[in-house]
Amino acid sequence: MIFILSVCILMMTTVSYSGGSDVDRTKPPAPKPAPSVTLPEIQKVKLSNGLQVWLVEHHELPTVAFNLVIQAGSDHDPVAQPGLASMTADVLDEGTKTRTSLEISEAMSSIGASFGASSSWDGSFLTLNTLTKHLQKALEVYTDVLTNPVFPQKEFERLRKQRLTMLLQQRDQPVAIANNSYARILYGDAHPYGNNPSGSESSLKALNRDDLAKFYETYYRPNNSTLIVVGDVKMDQITSLLEKALEGWKSGEIPAMTIPDPKPVEKMRVYLIDKPGAPQSEIRVGYPALARSTPDYFPVTVMNRMLGGQFTSRINLNLREKHGYTYGATSMFRFQKGVGPFQAQGGIVTEKTDSAIAECMNEIRLMHDKGMTSDELDFVKKGLVGNFALSFETPSQIAGALQNIVLYGLPDDYYQHYLQNIENVSLDEANRAAQKYLDASHMDIVVVGDLSKIRSGIQALHLGDVILCDLDGKPLP
Amino acid sequence: MRRLASIFFLVIIMSAVMLSQINIQFEQYKLDNGLTVILREDHSAPVAAVVMMYHVGSKNEKPKRTGFAHLFEHMMFQGSEHVAKGDHFKMLQEVGAVINGSTNSDVTNYFEVVPSNCVELALYLESDRMGFLLQAMTQDKLDNQRDVVKNERRQRVDNVPYGTADEKIAKAMYPPTHPYSWPVVGYMEDLSAASLDDVKEFFRTYYAPNNAVLSIDGDINPGEIKSMIERYFGDIPRGKDFERPQAVPVSIPKDIQMTFEDQVQLPRLYISWHSPANFTREDAVLTVLADILSSGKSSRLYKSLVYEQQIAQSVFADAASQEIAGLFQIEVTAKPGRNLGEMKTAVDSIMHQALTNGVTQKEIDDAVTQMEARIVNRAQTKLGVANTLANYYCQTGDPNNINKQMEQYRGITPEEVLTVSKKYLTQPRMLLSIVPAGKTELAVGKGE
Repeated sequence: MIFILSVCILMMTTVSYSGGSDVDRTKPPAPKPAPSVTLPEIQKVKLSNGLQVWLVEHHELPTVAFNLVIQAGSDHDPVAQPGLASMTADVLDEGTKTRTSLEISEAMSSIGASFGASSSWDGSFLTLNTLTKHLQKALEVYTDVLTNPVFPQKEFERLRKQRLTMLLQQRDQPVAIANNSYARILYGDAHPYGNNPSGSESSLKALNRDDLAKFYETYYRPNNSTLIVVGDVKMDQITSLLEKALEGWKSGEIPAMTIPDPKPVEKMRVYLIDKPGAPQSEIRVGYPALARSTPDYFPVTVMNRMLGGQFTSRINLNLREKHGYTYGATSMFRFQKGVGPFQAQGGIVTEKTDSAIAECMNEIRLMHDKGMTSDELDFVKKGLVGNFALSFETPSQIAGALQNIVLYGLPDDYYQHYLQNIENVSLDEANRAAQKYLDASHMDIVVVGDLSKIRSGIQALHLGDVILCDLDGKPLP
Repeated sequence: MRRLASIFFLVIIMSAVMLSQINIQFEQYKLDNGLTVILREDHSAPVAAVVMMYHVGSKNEKPKRTGFAHLFEHMMFQGSEHVAKGDHFKMLQEVGAVINGSTNSDVTNYFEVVPSNCVELALYLESDRMGFLLQAMTQDKLDNQRDVVKNERRQRVDNVPYGTADEKIAKAMYPPTHPYSWPVVGYMEDLSAASLDDVKEFFRTYYAPNNAVLSIDGDINPGEIKSMIERYFGDIPRGKDFERPQAVPVSIPKDIQMTFEDQVQLPRLYISWHSPANFTREDAVLTVLADILSSGKSSRLYKSLVYEQQIAQSVFADAASQEIAGLFQIEVTAKPGRNLGEMKTAVDSIMHQALTNGVTQKEIDDAVTQMEARIVNRAQTKLGVANTLANYYCQTGDPNNINKQMEQYRGITPEEVLTVSKKYLTQPRMLLSIVPAGKTELAVGKGE
């Protein structure tokens, strides 16, 4: 009896647990109701020197992240001085009135803090990530670097030499060659976006430390910056520390600057750059397209996600999953403060370079001419909506979202309306965006690869005039 | 009294380097078919990370089939009996999931980060490819992904300056029978040779529930998810046991010196020694040494070669440890006009100091503090936690080692660093010179 009983229990257990037979594998399980996303609550304080401080509390881990966003990036490089903004950021933490370069880095590493200054096209950034228990020590050094930099001549010379060597190393890297040349070809060297944000050999040689100090004096000002703080901290903890530490940092007049509109591409040309022996060709296709402020931001984002903005995009499924030409091909609109480029791109096996270009151009033309289907629109919108739920998980994601609002002057409730803005994109709007912004006849093509193997195939596509360029994207004589 | 005083002293010392400890609560159990499940409830965001890790990597490959574990990883995304080709990606991208797979020498990892209402979809897809992959396998799929993987190799290795250095080092440091002697991505000719039969055999041997761990972290209801896991995975049959590659002592009898030309502007020197496997105390000690040598501006190698002398563009030291062996490596790139003989002399001089006079307690404490920050940061994402739990399960047998990560760094003294450094870094080593084409005079042994 006992034996039989126990078998019974076992069987019941098995049935209630396994029930393998009742799994219907023929269709995927339907999602449950979507969870609600809690958006970060932004607390704001303005310090007496005019600096805006934005805080999002996040107490999951004992860390705090700071990101001072300065509204001047490589877009502020004078045409004759490419590399100025990025060199300023590089040398910023190399010495203050009371601390040497090594003392600064030792102070931060002894508390395990990561710290640094950097720049992008749209801004400059001073970032700090520290364990909460070391907050005071970390902030002391962070604010010292921000307010008392001396741009020592010796450190400037060292970093300039380092930078010049880095430019030399970029000549080994097909991806860097393609990106730099593509920018120069689209924008020309009279536009900030046409230059390498790291600078050129001649611009770096002409720079001196006073140029950096002047850039800092002009743009690194409280009224030109916002401090974003995310982490295990409360507003009153930091404001008292900051008020005192930033007392001597004063607002100033910020010179107005407008980023010029780039010239449109008149007609398609094909620019070829030789990299003998390269097993792959790096391809870039596009034109100077849109600024972040475009009213078409949402239709364009939705449309591009289907064209080349996700793994299951038309371009990637064609070039990778159907033809095996590449490890991955994508397209993107690089929304910046000024008019940023559209680019379709990929690394293509040398032997299939021409076929891949042809397929890529076909996908762009097809989207332009016929648009997407309503099923595709539905698919893309659902993906963007679902992905939004994943966007505020970590302090660094939250900090990134805030940086977006700060840099591009988006409304504070931007993320409250984000989902609605995605949902609102109609098929008509998405397809109008494709017609308006994917005109292949006004795009350029840049290819970096082994010309002895790819040139004739590309010429046979008859896409436009073929122009040979050097490794900087300058036409060869 | 004296005794009391000394105890007090000890406490002070300990609190000076007292480290915050992460505390990750999780539940672990096994299904009848051997699938290990690790669950951690974390409702901080409406997100769940689903990690499926198989304890198989390139070290399980057969000779002449290098790169196969990674090629196989690609095949896992090509659909299964109930999931048509292309649908795996489509279904997940439609819900906004972030997904990928990765392969190293020891494990193969698949993950889906999903909005928490879509966890069941991830389980459905993971279970279908674990239970029903071969029913949908075709030669076309294999040929297509073989091309994709060859392109991946071009993108990451062949079209990258210095890209083949690592595989040259592995080939020279390990005997040809050792599974770490070949690259994870494999050689082109072996990728070409991989057949459909290889795919089937590999799947049957290694892709069984008893060789896998399902690790989920996020906004989940444990009771509900356990019954889902049982429903989707419970019926998949257990696989046969197989033999795992074992750690065998490996050494090189004398120094190896090699030179290769590449399409590069600057010469680069790689110095490699054999070192211990991962998750060992000695590995932790060497990791601390590597930090002291090259992490941050004040680190010994960086400060001397890059900051002060300015003869090198960059220098990195790394205790690159894996499941059954490790390599301690130093990589130094010369500034224009410098040769690798000069780099070797400069590195040797710093290493000689470290191996003679040792390092300071302050340097050790700073390195350990940085380690602590790295460990805390890795716990930021649910994916980071689920991955770390799965990895500790596969490679140490105990996921709870996630909460003991700092322990292996505790109490490291200058004496211990000196002892371990001498044990490994005075052994024969490999010196690999990669020089610009036509400039072999820049290699070690030429320009000195």
